[in-house]
Amino acid sequence: MENLELDTTQVKKMLGKHKAKMKFYLGMCAHCSLCAESCFLFNSHDNDPKYMPSYKFINSLGTLYKKKGRIKQETVEEIKANIWERCALCTRCYCPFGIDIPSMIALARSIMRSQGVYPQYDEEKAHPLAE
Amino acid sequence: MVKGKRKPVEEIYSVISKYSKILIVGCGGCVSVCLAGGQKEVFELIEDLKASGGSAKQMDSYTVERQCNMTFLAELDDMADAYDCIVSMACGAGVQYLAERFANIPVFPAINTIAIGVDREIGVYEEKCRACGQCVLSYTGGICPVTKCAKGLFNGPCGGTNSGMCEINNQTPCAWHDIYTRLKDQGRLDDILKIQAPMQWQNQVQRTIVQDAYAERYAK
Amino acid sequence: MEMKSGSNLEKMLRAGHFAFTGELGPPRGTNVEAVREKAAFLKGNVDMVNITDNQTAMVRMSSWAAAIIAIEEGLEPNYQMVCRDRNRLAMQADILGAYAHGMRNILCLSGDHQQFGDHPNAKGVYDIDSIQLIGLVKKMRDEGKFLGGAEIDTPPKFFIGGAANPFAEPLEWRVYRLAKKITAGVDFIQTQCIYNMDIMRKWVKQANEMGLTDKVFILAGVTPMKSLGMARYMKAKVPGMDVPDEIIKRLQGVDRKKQADEGINIACEQIEEFKEMKGVAGVHLMAIEWEHKVPEIAERAKVLPRPEV
Repeated sequence: MENLELDTTQVKKMLGKHKAKMKFYLGMCAHCSLCAESCFLFNSHDNDPKYMPSYKFINSLGTLYKKKGRIKQETVEEIKANIWERCALCTRCYCPFGIDIPSMIALARSIMRSQGVYPQYDEEKAHPLAE
Repeated sequence: MVKGKRKPVEEIYSVISKYSKILIVGCGGCVSVCLAGGQKEVFELIEDLKASGGSAKQMDSYTVERQCNMTFLAELDDMADAYDCIVSMACGAGVQYLAERFANIPVFPAINTIAIGVDREIGVYEEKCRACGQCVLSYTGGICPVTKCAKGLFNGPCGGTNSGMCEINNQTPCAWHDIYTRLKDQGRLDDILKIQAPMQWQNQVQRTIVQDAYAERYAK
Repeated sequence: MEMKSGSNLEKMLRAGHFAFTGELGPPRGTNVEAVREKAAFLKGNVDMVNITDNQTAMVRMSSWAAAIIAIEEGLEPNYQMVCRDRNRLAMQADILGAYAHGMRNILCLSGDHQQFGDHPNAKGVYDIDSIQLIGLVKKMRDEGKFLGGAEIDTPPKFFIGGAANPFAEPLEWRVYRLAKKITAGVDFIQTQCIYNMDIMRKWVKQANEMGLTDKVFILAGVTPMKSLGMARYMKAKVPGMDVPDEIIKRLQGVDRKKQADEGINIACEQIEEFKEMKGVAGVHLMAIEWEHKVPEIAERAKVLPRPEV
């Protein structure tokens, strides 16, 4: 797999801008799985844990903070799957602690877009939202 | 999803020609899927505008996840003021929401919004719904006469059918011929033996939907 | 018998006479004399004249306006109204106005699509369709109410017409669509131009068997071929038109100068058959831009003199 040249300075800058709030959210998650109940994709994928909103933000934005933006190509693919293929960003997910999950997914998407990573709908592969 | 097609570059250039700092905003929603206004198409538009006389202009881009949601438009708050105008590559809804958020900056559309439609193939999209607000598909065999019939007939087919095709040309299938055939195959012709009363058009004023579960929350 | 409208056509049909009606296309301009000239050829030779409404989606003098001129010239008009150009408000307003000016027959049509005409990107209205328009005129007449439910001060009493095309697919559905028009309230039907007599016979037979011809007067549409070229054009280019090869062959079989004459021969043979056909109450002659031939055609079809009712 090709190695993607990430501009870590740019990624870190974007991470830094929202650091306080996002770190707070990441620390607040109690893994109660209530957000999963409100996710239609989780429900329509046989309750696959990979579709839990908490799984999706931890394994995307969470990873980016943990690795300080230095990630391998395979991690890029994993993040891409979590924030686009497994999430429609419908903003319907509900967290009893008030974590703004959509804002976390949206930030992860913006960061990836800044690195030229985004869904390509004219590729001859399955539709990202119809995995 | 919503389907759109990018406007000709000449038309887009004509509206931005007098501005020097331009922000081009893509949309990661429907128009990305139909290859009209996503991040990739934003880059293509910038190249096209440069080639059409805009090479001296400052043209920057940013793609938000969806222009039909204020949360995502908020990402532009810090940067928008630095530009003379914004070009939106979203559908008509996204353009208007963007223009509402940045009411002091001119916002121009780069897309012609065409339809609510389906993905026939990659790059081929077909209109299926005109959002009339009073769906009749239950008695028309799942084929929309408002969208597919050139005359929007509710009691077709008219006398212009031509070997299963529409009178407007022989490449356009006749909606009512198809409705008839499908209902016949399903043994449901009774559904169109009844006269369908005049449509009570619902799409003549701007509509706002409040889902029942939220009626109390948003009660005036 | 109680009349619904008291129009000449209604009286003629209810008296059991074989009706013979004609057509007059309004001018593409304000040339009133042209209307009067055409009218002169029709007067006394037909029971009623269809006044077309932006026929083939080309702008023409409005049908009600040309119909007023026709009345002045002593003709009874059949006011055509298409769904393409007006919404339900304009339709009802024009229906009131048409009645006020003496019109007593109305023909409710979908209308040719605007793409055919000289304003192909016009917004087609199609607020209601032809079957719903039939129901609207009936409601105004029989209930004395507008579509919206309000009472009409002195309701218009129209003899309500509709169109039928037995030759357009799906053929087996056509008689059911006729039944829908009857349920909606149509009093008479004018058919598409007939050339394929086999299909016409079958359609009328079906309508007879379903009891439909007891409830509606069917006027068979006849358009004489002016030339072999016209026959070929209609066969190839006009949607919903069924021109069998035998018609083409008959026109090919005569000298070019005799083709028009042969076209009239064919039309007269058809009219003779319709006079005897159970379920057919008359003929609607559409002599398109051939009004001056109507007296000759009527003579040769042996439908003159027209009965007085």
